[in-house]
Amino acid sequence: MTENKVLEIRELDFYIEDYHILKNINLSVSKGEFVGLIGPNGAGKTTLLKCINGINKGKGQIIINNLKLEKLSAKKIAREVALMHQDTSVNFPFPAIDVVLSGRYPYLRFAEVESAEDYRIARKYMSYTNTLQFERKPITTVSGGERQRIFFAKILTQETDIILLDEPTSNLDIAHEEQIFRYCRDLCNKGKTVIAAVHDLKIASRYCSRLILLKDGEIIADGSVEEVLTKENISMAYGVKAIVYKNNFTGLLDFYIPDFEDAIQDTKKDNKAEKSRIHIIGGCGAGADIIRRLFEKGYKLSAGVLSKGDSDLNCAQAYGVKCVVEKPFSDIGDEKLSENVEYIKGADITILCNIPFGTYNLKNLEAARYASKLVIIEDKPPEERDFTGGKAIEIYKKLRESAIITTCNKVYEEIKNYMER
Amino acid sequence: MSTSIKRKVPNRKRKIHRNNTEKLTKLTEKIEIYYKLASVIPMMLFMLLLIIIFSTAIGSVNVPFKDTVKIILKNWGLIKNITFTEGWESIIFYVRFPRVITTILVGAALGTSGAVMQGMFRNPMADPGILGVSSGAGFGAVVAIYLGIHAKSIYFMPLFASAGALVAAFVVFLLSIKNGKIPVMNMILSGMAVSTFLSAITTAILSFARSDQVKQFLFWTVGSLNGTRWEDVKISVIPIIVCTVILLFFSKDLNILLLGEEEAQSVGLNPAKTRKLILLLSSILTATAVSVSGTISFVGLIVPHIIRLLIGPDHRLLIPASALGGSIFLLLCDLIGRTIVAPGELSVGIVTSIIGAPYFLILLNRARKEGVAL
Repeated sequence: MTENKVLEIRELDFYIEDYHILKNINLSVSKGEFVGLIGPNGAGKTTLLKCINGINKGKGQIIINNLKLEKLSAKKIAREVALMHQDTSVNFPFPAIDVVLSGRYPYLRFAEVESAEDYRIARKYMSYTNTLQFERKPITTVSGGERQRIFFAKILTQETDIILLDEPTSNLDIAHEEQIFRYCRDLCNKGKTVIAAVHDLKIASRYCSRLILLKDGEIIADGSVEEVLTKENISMAYGVKAIVYKNNFTGLLDFYIPDFEDAIQDTKKDNKAEKSRIHIIGGCGAGADIIRRLFEKGYKLSAGVLSKGDSDLNCAQAYGVKCVVEKPFSDIGDEKLSENVEYIKGADITILCNIPFGTYNLKNLEAARYASKLVIIEDKPPEERDFTGGKAIEIYKKLRESAIITTCNKVYEEIKNYMER
Repeated sequence: MSTSIKRKVPNRKRKIHRNNTEKLTKLTEKIEIYYKLASVIPMMLFMLLLIIIFSTAIGSVNVPFKDTVKIILKNWGLIKNITFTEGWESIIFYVRFPRVITTILVGAALGTSGAVMQGMFRNPMADPGILGVSSGAGFGAVVAIYLGIHAKSIYFMPLFASAGALVAAFVVFLLSIKNGKIPVMNMILSGMAVSTFLSAITTAILSFARSDQVKQFLFWTVGSLNGTRWEDVKISVIPIIVCTVILLFFSKDLNILLLGEEEAQSVGLNPAKTRKLILLLSSILTATAVSVSGTISFVGLIVPHIIRLLIGPDHRLLIPASALGGSIFLLLCDLIGRTIVAPGELSVGIVTSIIGAPYFLILLNRARKEGVAL
């Protein structure tokens, strides 16, 4: 571990005039790590990166490859650490190759002209970042994505062990934004160390091997993606309630910031939403949307009975909704049924979602009878969703007599109206 | 396709082949900057030479080009035993030729310092006057005139002017330094403040001066090369050549600075240190030029700008080309000034302003159209 340590920061403090920008940063990074620096605006990400390459001189120790930063000359530092700045705009029409060649500056003596070897290195990295075709093109005429890649080639041309990136994807479209992260992951596998300030948590969670969460100049979390990107950490750092879940399509961590604005306004009018509890009978993905909508409005929710592995269950758990859970692919047992009934009885409203009916979840329909007020979502006629050969329809029709019938899009209005009555 | 060819070539041969191509690319790459220099600089030198001869020969008395060259060569001791028409020799060698050489030096100094300033401020509109150097020199000059010491020795006026220029630049530098850094904006604002302050004092002194002194000062401020002698060459040649050459060595650093201050820092260039040195050198350059010729405006602005449009922003090429371009431009302007209203004479500063002001407006207009922040 200690042999592989390429960067160590001990008790780093940084002030700009009287403002304490970085507070007691302690950090050690090993070779091959891809560290994502995350945190809200003004958390000190850029400042920390600039401390690491010596632009900002803070109090404390920074040790790079067992060398103390303060004892290194500026050129020596530039041979150890390369930093790609957030703003890469250039006003003067240098050809791209000249910009990339500026990465060789730390290796040249005063007023020395670049050698063929320097050109070879520059071209090598330009072809790596797929920018060699712009070699002669003025940097002022290339697109933002191309310029970003040219500057990336420039910092690679510095041939440093440590690469620092300051929000490399700002101003890029989705086709380009992840490219630089792919390059970085590749480089980390080859033994370089990358530390990147990243805004986009999805990208950070996808590519980084380690995340460091900064807030107000302090490290509040440091570890693997799963350790750092928790609901608690995000709400602490960013001050928002975030939903962290595994995206079923990509298998990656995803984030959802619920829209609480309406809920706040509604609860000001009357705080019925907070007091009343709604139970949701879902399954097969029919309940997720309703859970989200009602969750955003601030209702207390419960759900059941859901099979393990059902996407509705994943959704409910992501929102922290209490659920009655049954084993997958099996009928609802009596125990779960009675548990569900308890929930339904205690709820002000029970919602029966637009779910398909099979023998295994027939007991959900039966449980719905105990609802004090039932709301039925009917986006499609029940006949199309019945796979029990008519049994379900029978129960469903009975339920329908005393229930409010609505669709998914209108469910909130219906509930609001009902509550106001 | 290339792999199939390679397979046919035996191992040893392939190695030789690769070495050869490597050598070839090595050669072309090494030459790249030299190649550019070789294609631009000799051409400009040739142009300069032609204009030197032309400028020296033409005037109220026109001397044939051949004789002009011969007179210069004779006075340098390269040709002997030739006699010329009465008076030609003194007109050419003691009146026009020193004036031409001074013009070349002043033009080179203004062109170089303009190019360097624009690079350092990362703004194609920057000009040596930004540092308060011109108003500093003006202040020095007015002091010399007011005290009447300029008449005692011809060295006093340039001495006072350059002292004033350097002091002004130093004050601007002190005012703009902050935490060991020199932010560009601070520098521009301090330059403006110092300039305004010094101009006010200069005007105040002038209001107490005699009318002949005021006229003298006015004549000086316009910028004129009239009556320059070999002494002026002696004063200015060493500082101008030395500073230009040193600045040439900094051209790589200036290129890096153009990419941005933080960009420069992250490849190991100390912007503050470089800026201090460049500031000092370009102040000396401008001060020397101003002390010899008075303030000649627009040369430092438009020459580097045109050159940059023609050959690109690389300072390794831009600085020598701007120096030569400044010389050529100033020589032409002086020639126009001397001949257009003959037997009278327009000061060279008037000519550069008349040409420069419209060009500056065009530049401004285009910058506005392109949305360049000024």
